[in-house]
Amino acid sequence: MSNQLHEHLATMLRIRAFEEACLEGVASGEIHGELHTAIGQEAIGAGMAGVLRDDDALVSTHRNHAHALAKGVPLVPMLAEIFERATGLCGGYGGHMHLFDRDRLFSTTGIVGATLPVALGHAYAMVLDGSDAVAVGVTGDGGVNTGGFHESLNLAGALALPLVVLVENNDLAISVVSSEVSAAGSVERAPAYAARGQRVDGTDPVAVEAAFRAAVDHARAGGGPSIVEATCHRFRGHYEGDPDLYRSAEEKDALTAHDPIARARRLLLADGATEAELDELATRARTELEQALAEVRAAPAPDPAGAHDHVTLLPTGGPR
Amino acid sequence: MTTSAPTRNLNVSSYIAEAIRLEMEADDAIVVLGEDVGRQGGVFGSTRGLQKRFGDRRVLDTPISEMAFTGMGVGLAMSGYRPMIEIMFVDFIGVCLEQVYNAIAKNRYMSGGNVAMPVVIKTAGGCIGSAAQHSQCLWGTFAHLPGMHVVAPSSPYDAKGLMAAALQSDDPVVYIEHKALLLSKSADFAHGAEVPKERYTVPIGEAATVRDGGDVTIATLSANVRDALRAAEELSTEGIDVEVIDLRSVVPLDTATVAASVARTRRLLVVDEDYLSFGLSGELITRVLETLGPSGIEVVRRLGVADVPIPAARSLEEAVVPGATAIAEAVRAMAS
Repeated sequence: MSNQLHEHLATMLRIRAFEEACLEGVASGEIHGELHTAIGQEAIGAGMAGVLRDDDALVSTHRNHAHALAKGVPLVPMLAEIFERATGLCGGYGGHMHLFDRDRLFSTTGIVGATLPVALGHAYAMVLDGSDAVAVGVTGDGGVNTGGFHESLNLAGALALPLVVLVENNDLAISVVSSEVSAAGSVERAPAYAARGQRVDGTDPVAVEAAFRAAVDHARAGGGPSIVEATCHRFRGHYEGDPDLYRSAEEKDALTAHDPIARARRLLLADGATEAELDELATRARTELEQALAEVRAAPAPDPAGAHDHVTLLPTGGPR
Repeated sequence: MTTSAPTRNLNVSSYIAEAIRLEMEADDAIVVLGEDVGRQGGVFGSTRGLQKRFGDRRVLDTPISEMAFTGMGVGLAMSGYRPMIEIMFVDFIGVCLEQVYNAIAKNRYMSGGNVAMPVVIKTAGGCIGSAAQHSQCLWGTFAHLPGMHVVAPSSPYDAKGLMAAALQSDDPVVYIEHKALLLSKSADFAHGAEVPKERYTVPIGEAATVRDGGDVTIATLSANVRDALRAAEELSTEGIDVEVIDLRSVVPLDTATVAASVARTRRLLVVDEDYLSFGLSGELITRVLETLGPSGIEVVRRLGVADVPIPAARSLEEAVVPGATAIAEAVRAMAS
């Protein structure tokens, strides 16, 4: 248990260091668009890490960095993509909301709820392939009220497809409190889709891993779809620059009580770990990101001459 | 209509089903998803026999969940498949356009060329008396959004050949079949009536001059090609010599073929069953003008559905949808 949590803490620290590096890019103007960080939600990515194989698919959202790292997407090209560099994962064409790693079957979409139909397609491909790979679609509590959630889970249930729907429930669809506008929680809907449903404390990486692994194993064994809902807290605004006026100062101050990193640290210290040893984990994560940032910053911006590349293979013949 | 009876006299739907069958036999990666595509073989019969031949996994009857099964096309493509997604009527695209224009059309670009989207969106368009929500063409809508090829065949030969090309394409292709043509047989066509049984493709992006003429150029596509040819026959008895160009695809748009014709005729009529404003007709005319310069054209006109939904009653429908009579009238005015 403590070994596992130790490892999860290292992963969470790496995710946070990654997000903090991105914050730096926003402040400096190196990232000139929207940025959504998962600070406060790191335990979910940490719990997912190591559970999936390369041939499993993972389709993530606008808040995707932790999931990408969990799927093994290489960190430097990912950071370079977010920092709008030619060496980015997608050459600077995608940006932080549109990350694609073909070899690891990882992709994202910036449209809330649109992840699940894509994951469903991967799940269907796995059945056609006769493989025991699984597809994971991530959504937030906002996405569970889109039509795509219903359509995808219905079809996954009807065809018993190997689909795991991971709901990151921070109870905020930007500013709208999801529980106030939802007739039922996502897990409570699972029986309607012949799906397995499990709610888990998303600040506890060990619990997330257990629930996520159970759902993945269930899908791998041909049991059909699952909904895993991980409750969590979004520390920052919806995006960097969000004035976040929908939460009171007290409410925001109280968030730190739910910090998954502080929680893991507390538990590990109580279990006999030393401050120095845990500080060392944090230093290691920060050092990795400092080196990554230096590498990314040395890379050039994409050549503007390429702005029309990659639209289609066959030229469309339109005016430039 | 044809001077000699065609060797095979099947309807266009059957030729499309044949094209899909031949491509599926040649490429195991092709899968077909949509409503009624399996057991029924499509509401117009253009997937008939496929489920029997390839099984209910490769030809999947879906629930009425366009958002889900269109998005499945994205996941399937990223998993190495070549999905054909049937949107029964193009009018239904509103419920799933998200996956079409934000994922299928953009993933290649957003991934910096790393992710291919060999997806065919097969969908029926055009007027057959089904009023505002089941009669649109909408090829201009898809064409406006970057990242997709858009084809709309006019003849049995092109219907089969363009479907084969679409299924072989590594780019997304929106294949818009005209409902009135789907149920027409080879013998109903004055052009492209002969359809070989074998595999062949019609290259995407190349217009075809289906009638030579020196007085006026008509550029059109889909079912309006048949109307233009009928009008041209009538006009020839009046001494007006019309050239008819079938664009065959909206994206890529073969401006060169049209411009070369207009350079001779100096008169261009664009006939488009889609909405008039901000669409194919304005775009094509602009590109021809950019190619030839303003002095290269003497008369330009366009016929389209002039920014009004398609009405139900026949008398109203005929008033807004361009047909042979309206085309002939427009040409007469241009030639005089």
